[in-house]
Amino acid sequence: MKYVGKSIQRIDAFEKVTGSAEYAGDIELPGMLYTKLLLSPYAHAKIKSIDFSDALKVPGVITIAIGEDFPFRIGLYVNDRNILARKKVRWVGEPVAAVVAENLEAAEEAIELIKVDYEPLPPVLDVRDALKPDAPLVHEELGEYAHSPAFNPIPGTNIANRFVVKKGNVEEGFKKSDVIVENEFLMPQVSHVPMEPHTCIGQYMKDGSIKIWTSAQSPFAIRYILGYSLGVPLHKISVYVPYVGGGFGGKAGINFEPLVVLLSKKAGYRPVKLELTREEQFMVAPVRQGFYGKIKTGVTRDGKIMAEKILYVFDAGAYADYGVNIGRAAGYSCTGPYYVPNLEGESLTVYTNHPWGTAFRGFGHFEFLWAIERQMEIVAAEIGMDPIEFRLKNALLPGLTTPTGEKLREDAGRIDQCIKAVAEKIGWGTPPVKITPNKIRAKGIAALWKAPAMPPNAASSAIIKLNEDGTFLLSVGVTEIGQGTVTALAQIVAEELSVPVEKIKVVPFRHTDLTPYSWQTVASRNLFMEGRAVIRAARDVKEQILEVASQVLRVPKDDLEIEDEKVYVKGRPEWSLQLKDIAAGYVYPNGNTIGGPIIGRGYYVGSRLTYLDPETGQGYPALKWTFGAQAVEIELDTETGEIKILKLVSAFDVGKAINPMLVEGQIVGGCVQSISLGMWEEYKYDKNGRMINPNLTDYKIARAGDIPEEHIVVIIENPQKDGPYGARGVGELSMLSVPPAIANAIFHATGVNINNLPLSFENIWKALKEKR
Amino acid sequence: MEKKKIIFKINGVEKTVEVEPNKTLLWLIREVLKLKGTKKACERGDCGLCTVLLNGEPVKSCLVLAVEVDGSEIVTVEGLSRDGELTPIQKAFIEHGALQCGFCTPAFVIVGHWLLNRNPNPSREEVVEALNGVLCRCTGYRPIIEAILDVAKKRK
Amino acid sequence: MLPKIEYSCPQTLEELFEILEKYKEQAKVLAGGTDLLVSLRDRIEKARHIVDIKKIKELEKLEYREGEGLVIGATVTLRKILESRVVKERYPVLWEAVRTIGDMILKNRATLVGNICNASPAADSAPALLILEAKVRILSREGFREVPIENFFTGVKKTILKPWEIVKEVFVPEPPRNHFGRYLKMMRVMSEDLSVVGVAGLGYREGGDVKIRLAYSSVAPTPLRIREAEEAFLKPGTIEEKIERAVQIAAEKVSPISDVRGSAEYRLHLVKVLTRRLLKQIVEVV
Repeated sequence: MKYVGKSIQRIDAFEKVTGSAEYAGDIELPGMLYTKLLLSPYAHAKIKSIDFSDALKVPGVITIAIGEDFPFRIGLYVNDRNILARKKVRWVGEPVAAVVAENLEAAEEAIELIKVDYEPLPPVLDVRDALKPDAPLVHEELGEYAHSPAFNPIPGTNIANRFVVKKGNVEEGFKKSDVIVENEFLMPQVSHVPMEPHTCIGQYMKDGSIKIWTSAQSPFAIRYILGYSLGVPLHKISVYVPYVGGGFGGKAGINFEPLVVLLSKKAGYRPVKLELTREEQFMVAPVRQGFYGKIKTGVTRDGKIMAEKILYVFDAGAYADYGVNIGRAAGYSCTGPYYVPNLEGESLTVYTNHPWGTAFRGFGHFEFLWAIERQMEIVAAEIGMDPIEFRLKNALLPGLTTPTGEKLREDAGRIDQCIKAVAEKIGWGTPPVKITPNKIRAKGIAALWKAPAMPPNAASSAIIKLNEDGTFLLSVGVTEIGQGTVTALAQIVAEELSVPVEKIKVVPFRHTDLTPYSWQTVASRNLFMEGRAVIRAARDVKEQILEVASQVLRVPKDDLEIEDEKVYVKGRPEWSLQLKDIAAGYVYPNGNTIGGPIIGRGYYVGSRLTYLDPETGQGYPALKWTFGAQAVEIELDTETGEIKILKLVSAFDVGKAINPMLVEGQIVGGCVQSISLGMWEEYKYDKNGRMINPNLTDYKIARAGDIPEEHIVVIIENPQKDGPYGARGVGELSMLSVPPAIANAIFHATGVNINNLPLSFENIWKALKEKR
Repeated sequence: MEKKKIIFKINGVEKTVEVEPNKTLLWLIREVLKLKGTKKACERGDCGLCTVLLNGEPVKSCLVLAVEVDGSEIVTVEGLSRDGELTPIQKAFIEHGALQCGFCTPAFVIVGHWLLNRNPNPSREEVVEALNGVLCRCTGYRPIIEAILDVAKKRK
Repeated sequence: MLPKIEYSCPQTLEELFEILEKYKEQAKVLAGGTDLLVSLRDRIEKARHIVDIKKIKELEKLEYREGEGLVIGATVTLRKILESRVVKERYPVLWEAVRTIGDMILKNRATLVGNICNASPAADSAPALLILEAKVRILSREGFREVPIENFFTGVKKTILKPWEIVKEVFVPEPPRNHFGRYLKMMRVMSEDLSVVGVAGLGYREGGDVKIRLAYSSVAPTPLRIREAEEAFLKPGTIEEKIERAVQIAAEKVSPISDVRGSAEYRLHLVKVLTRRLLKQIVEVV
């Protein structure tokens, strides 16, 4: 192959290194106004009154809105969210009022003058407390909310969704087990920290149409939900997305777009811009849900898992619109990449008075793999088996069934190969080494899997146009959030149509009026799904080219070949046409014209995916499974708890690397994000539920000096037959399972099990101290 | 607030601007001069995405008042490459895949330029130390470090 | 955004003092701005008249005189200090401490005098200056005074400085002959952070004895020198006994709090570990 499988340069690179790439914050519109939000100081309180009369007097202030101005509910899966808080506030940071002004300074000044009278209510600040029968309710009206039929909110409780999966007979399985091990695990809420904070501009037009410019991953989801919630037909809503400065799931759903649109209407139809500050990004924007897990594993002496009983509880925070799907995804993958014959899994998404949760790269999986991969290590130790051997013995190989009863397809990718690859490269099998009296080096390993968490009808499409000069234009709905999918898609077009990548432009922005539909840019689904749609669109283009060329060259279509921007007769390359000569119709010397502009179109939806049975969770949720494994060698200072990652090895079965440089880039970057989340990141709260570290001084993320000294990436390619050129997704996968690998290394170094994240130096020190 | 008149050079062009004292250099660059390559992402010196060269040295422009740059020379990412010809650092970033979402890229490019001007042959540790002031959430930094080291190596 | 402020940029000390006297508490000196602009933005700093001192020639001095010591003027950046060979060779503990403040970009603006005037308990340069027995040279229209840095800090973000005074420079005397000094800083990450605990220590031989000095960041309302630990170390005993005595006393004298960077318990533990490590290095080298 000429283009697929090559490490070509990113097609967006020139714009990005020169600073000319456009992001939402760079957009300025005539007459644009600015908005600033007033945030709730309480985690849970009734709003008794709001007085903004003084604020309105600030020069430059155009209008001020409060919750009652916008009686609409929004939500991706559960319609539980207000535009601005109504009647009560549900987390410290919930927007209570918005000031719209000619400039930001006036808006900021006015915000200070708004007086809100609250009546504090008892907050729910721990997800386990939220499940208690006497827990205060975060949403009293849960029963009234519209929601997708795939989810099951339980009115009168804080449970936004309950997902259950049942397979085999758990009691029997435990009876057949020699050893039963049960453990609990925790993970705090963390932030995406996209370098670009959420930014959007909305304009309500006088004719009732709506324009949105936003840093969002999924313009079509925004258009659909906004249309549904406001009762506006979709052809009247346009969503424009330029480059996105990092999303990681935080920009996957619908966030502040409805607010700016409604503010625009209230402000006299002028465009209104909202740019979150970094502090607001932490406090107002959605976060990664917190997690509590409890796993009971039954295993035979010779290392066969017989049964597993699993409870996962996700801290959805104040609103669960996206979060319900996170609980569901963790539920149907709950065992990790292992075959468990007898299984009872329950995965709950639960409201609390924390910031609201949303998708975050590898959602559900980063969380539960922390639990499962720690549990696997603990169980292996209990039965005195090497943890690699234990994992391989239970590996979910093609032909075995997943938790939802899906028989893994023959070409599904191989977890065993991933585990063996990292074990070999890390040099597994050597005992921990004491470097100095208080420094130990040790190794740890963890495996992973994930399928796209999406509805069965999630669709992608593509349009390819042949320009008059023989160059091509590819238009797709997947947004460029840094992951590089569009570069790989250009390579696919190049391969399919035998045209250099330089002659293909991928439209650099998304505009719902012009761009072909894509459900969302999430779930590591887009290379696979847009990839298939692009192949179809390319073949459509080809067909149209051949149609015209066969008439002009007077040979049947199947005698023609397209290569190097020409179409020619096989075996007679001198009988040929330039593509440009048929791009807009072929013109004969006398002026007669045949054909016309060539526009190819393709779509793709997953094959034979099903809804899952509400009682047992059985069914086919997965377009594809991607498998992988991580191994680390760490140096631990047992006196201070400091750890250094000396070496990291990552292996992923990606099916086919369309662009190896981009695949490696995803893996290297994802792993550093994983280390950062696993070791340092955490929403810290005071006793009233107020975040105490909402800035990058106090909430540390990895810097250049924090990365592993060495990182080896192993790309395994067992092609999936229905993937584009055999490819599977890997974007999210790269950030899974590094934290449990580190914790497993700590366990091997010290015998101490750490089951709560983050693995901060202090937390490690505490755990070691408790053991002493 | 009384506006102050300041005269400075930006990307080689002299400018005279009247600006309020509470405005930062970042605000001057983005909102007055409309140079949008310099990014705003924390406004308190943590992320480094607003880094520009002030009299040849990198500064986080959110922590410099606009009035302070009177008489100074500023270079932003827009001032690095002339006539569409990329600089060696920019080319190396592309070759090494040292960018993903691109939001932090201008800052890293600026720091890379400064570092190699000042120390044409830095060690890996020196590169890391120079880059510690700028945050990236996508790339994991490794390709950025390697891109800068590669330019130094090729120059030798 | 920043609050509404006024700005002036005096060219001479005379002009500067005129402004400071006129605006008193309302005036705040701006050098590097890396702390000040953040406090203004967060509305922690209430002063609204900002006086930029970077154009004043008398404050730019970075000068070493053999046999006397080192003068670091108010506008000398951390970067200049790091690039000074004299500082690196003669005052290694100060050099090492300065190296840990912020990142390379911030160091182009941030000043050492700013670091101490900001008076954060976590100021990294302060423990080094404390054990080097630096003097803070304070200037106002009324005149000049020189204060040992130990008396300079009065509380969290508080110093003895009057609104109409400025720190002209810091004077660091010649350290003890053949001394060995280091700053050990525990951070939450490896790259760049405020200190969870910082310990500056130096040791030298006087007569037959090894003498030490110890000072800390992030363990008390102010950066803290613990002379009692230094004295305890001097008392007779084996090296191990001397070290343990100093460690115990240091641990008794600190009063760490729990905050976002670490718990009081962890800090107390780190005081012991870092002090012990530092003293072991000192006795090995000296």
